[in-house]
Amino acid sequence: MTVRAYLAIALCKALRLISRLLHRGGTAMPGRYALRVCPELLAILARQVKTVAITGTNGKTTSSRMLEEAFTRQGFSCFANRSGANLISGITTEFVMNCNLGGRMQKEYAVIECDEAAARTVFGQLRPRVILVTNLFRDQLDRYGEVSHTLENIRVAIQGAPEAILYLNSDCSLTSSLAETLPNRCVFFGIDQGAIPSREKPALSDATHCIRCKTEYEYDYISYGHLGGFRCPRCGYRRHAADYAVTDVLAQNADGSSLVMRLRGEQALVEVNLPALYNVYNAAGALAAAVEMGVQPAVAIQALAGFQCGFGRMERFDLGGGARVMLVKNPAGCNQVIEFLQNIREPFLLVICLNDRPADGTDVSWIWDADFEGLTAMAGRLRQVIVSGDRAADMQVRIKYAGVDEAYIHQERDYEALIKTLAKQDLPVFLMPTYTALLELRQVLVRHCGGAEFWEQ
Amino acid sequence: MELRICHMYPDVLNLYGDGGNIRCMSQRLRWRGIGAEITRLPIGSAASLSGYDLVFIGGGQDFEQQVLLEDLHRGKDREIRAAVEDGLPFLAICGGYQMLGSYYETYDGQRCDFIGALDLYTVGSSTRMIGNYSFQCGESSGGSVVVGFENHSGKTWLGSGLQPLGTVLSGYGNNGQDGSEGARYQNVFGTYSHGPLLPKNPALCDFILLTALERKYGAAELVPLDDRAELAAHDEMLKRLR
Repeated sequence: MTVRAYLAIALCKALRLISRLLHRGGTAMPGRYALRVCPELLAILARQVKTVAITGTNGKTTSSRMLEEAFTRQGFSCFANRSGANLISGITTEFVMNCNLGGRMQKEYAVIECDEAAARTVFGQLRPRVILVTNLFRDQLDRYGEVSHTLENIRVAIQGAPEAILYLNSDCSLTSSLAETLPNRCVFFGIDQGAIPSREKPALSDATHCIRCKTEYEYDYISYGHLGGFRCPRCGYRRHAADYAVTDVLAQNADGSSLVMRLRGEQALVEVNLPALYNVYNAAGALAAAVEMGVQPAVAIQALAGFQCGFGRMERFDLGGGARVMLVKNPAGCNQVIEFLQNIREPFLLVICLNDRPADGTDVSWIWDADFEGLTAMAGRLRQVIVSGDRAADMQVRIKYAGVDEAYIHQERDYEALIKTLAKQDLPVFLMPTYTALLELRQVLVRHCGGAEFWEQ
Repeated sequence: MELRICHMYPDVLNLYGDGGNIRCMSQRLRWRGIGAEITRLPIGSAASLSGYDLVFIGGGQDFEQQVLLEDLHRGKDREIRAAVEDGLPFLAICGGYQMLGSYYETYDGQRCDFIGALDLYTVGSSTRMIGNYSFQCGESSGGSVVVGFENHSGKTWLGSGLQPLGTVLSGYGNNGQDGSEGARYQNVFGTYSHGPLLPKNPALCDFILLTALERKYGAAELVPLDDRAELAAHDEMLKRLR
């Protein structure tokens, strides 16, 4: 420990205290200043703990929560960047808040979700034992660029952590290609053929052509988007067999999924306390990483059945006939939410809050890549679509062209007024905000319905 | 009446919600009782464009560009050049727009030959031109004010005889220097305004549809639609850009 490191820790803790006294989150800012004082602070702290890092386009937060729950139930002392501050500043703040003034870490394990672009600077300092890559989809093109750039970013990031074991989605041809070019030991998780009915090939896929030789992939089955049993007819690059595989999906409903999984040869029944297929992937990845880090399979399975994710990931609020908040950030995640809604059998209201601030992506073109046409299949049950957020007008046009009758589309930009209206009726409500819209919307929801601020979650 | 619309390379040129333009054209035709038949023409399919009344080409990733060029040079480039001269309407966006030009020169000097249907070329630059922007369409493009989103590092330069689609009001346009945006030649509409260009710009959409209908049927008319939602989104962005 250097004098700079002690100073940086003291500064970081002081700034955090001040933030909280001012009723602010203080999740990223203290770490940012601490790193200015001591640029290697994160590396100094991180080498004292066993870290699991989670990156990828979708499912970072949910997978992290699942892992943290498994670690906690196993009795591991661990911490996580639960606030969702997943750039180097926020991650540093989290480490400092879990060390003493002398720079000694107070916990043994860390579960850290990391932004795909930030991973490049973070992984070398973090030196994780395990890196879980959930999936790769097109996302915020104005910020990340093409999905192949994001993949390259992650590859370079992992080169900074050559000893890390990689946990890769076997069904994502982009993610699993990391195993081709990196020397790290790799473990695969995924959904096996036959576990779910195969989908039609989607009109829009983020990985149509072989990452190695650019020949069009063939598929044995598709789970969603470009995920599934891909293989290249020319060079032979294909889905790697999953070490942790979902072999059967017994039931899926609005509350969760029942799965049969193969955990390195052992069969297990797994209940996931979150609905939708993308959470089946999140559960498989988290389970794999938890077991490999020393959590007993039975304990990890209990964690998946019992955990609450919160913070806009299928988060429940007591509003109207019951509200659920489902963060949407990109076409793949949005399509999964729309598909989830197709299974709702009772009348409901839908609220979509579209913002275009830097953290959301300033380009809202992606809403035209998402399959809002699917809403027309819910006619009769979908009683109203309320559009909100900074780009409510664009969302309104999108829903109109999807084929929803304009009489069912309303605009309400004031979240206070919106929540008051929703509270007065008794239908279930599903809210789909983008990231910054979630932060604002949640504050209003918490005020009306109770619940924790995002940094207390 | 019916328009047969060809969506060229939807499998690889689909980066920024470009499909929204197809959605927009077909809905605006159907709402008027005009048929819209959409044909997806992926990589590897036959080259002929003779059965279509309108062609749409979107923007794509660099990753698939090589696959695309191989496919183009198997005869589609000739077919496209002939169709353009024959007056077939094209809407080409971002990467698809660049592709209609003569060539693309990367930032480090590598040159890639494109279709050469339009007298323009593109040179890669080190900075990306990203953001919401607006431009004033010329007379030959209907004269409306268009709002869109651009995201490109290539700077496009038009040959001396080629008209731009419009004049930049805010943002970068073709190259961020000469104030031009897009290109307008025969019945080709080329632009950097990617993704859902048409939904928020119904006047431009109708102008392109009318061009295609008039070419096919001699004379055509489009009854006005209730565009309040579209124009509200348009005006809101225009106000923000001022």
